[in-house]
Amino acid sequence: MTDKKKHKVFIQGAITPTFIADSIAKHSGKTAIGAHDIFLGQVRNDLIDNKTVVAIEYSAYEEMAENLFHEIREAIFVKYDIVCMHIYHSLGLVKTGEICLFVFVSAKHRKDAFDACRDLVEQIKAMTPIWGKEIFEDDSHVWKKNN
Amino acid sequence: MKIKILVFGQLSEIINASELALLAVNNTDEFNKKLFELYPKLNEIKFTMAVNKKIIHENTPLNHEDVVALLPPFSGG
Repeated sequence: MTDKKKHKVFIQGAITPTFIADSIAKHSGKTAIGAHDIFLGQVRNDLIDNKTVVAIEYSAYEEMAENLFHEIREAIFVKYDIVCMHIYHSLGLVKTGEICLFVFVSAKHRKDAFDACRDLVEQIKAMTPIWGKEIFEDDSHVWKKNN
Repeated sequence: MKIKILVFGQLSEIINASELALLAVNNTDEFNKKLFELYPKLNEIKFTMAVNKKIIHENTPLNHEDVVALLPPFSGG
């Protein structure tokens, strides 16, 4: 049984630890699951040209990104034997130390959970039209570059 | 014939707008030519284009009310 229902990916502001804990708790009824893998992206205090990043402001081409998230999800369900997956990404301002990406994959066995989660995170980073503006203490900014 | 243009990320700072309109362009090559004439500073940054939310890799016909998006390199996550 797979859970393919569509949910909204974008969350305004940081993703809270309470939200993540609640998401985990919601899976206790799904007793076919034997392994969860969770990836959390956290805003890092990068030092760029002697200035420290204090926050990232995320923006996205939301309609296109939602379509792509849907396509990526469908392909992951075909490729791996997983039970369910959830993706949440922040929009707007997220301070350093706060969570901006929450990817949650559940499977019967750990290998599928690990492999699918990693694949999912890499695809989200490479394929979805989302941009981060790194804000410094003095309110100046640079546009984030992904590795 | 009117094409709606959405501009994202760093490009919106270069163009100084998040939305534009262009008239009388039949395909994405013509669109590009016109865009670079209007905004020569766009040469400074690499970007891809999406037509109606699909990334394009070659010259693509444009129709009335199509939406073209200018997408700088992604940096989500």
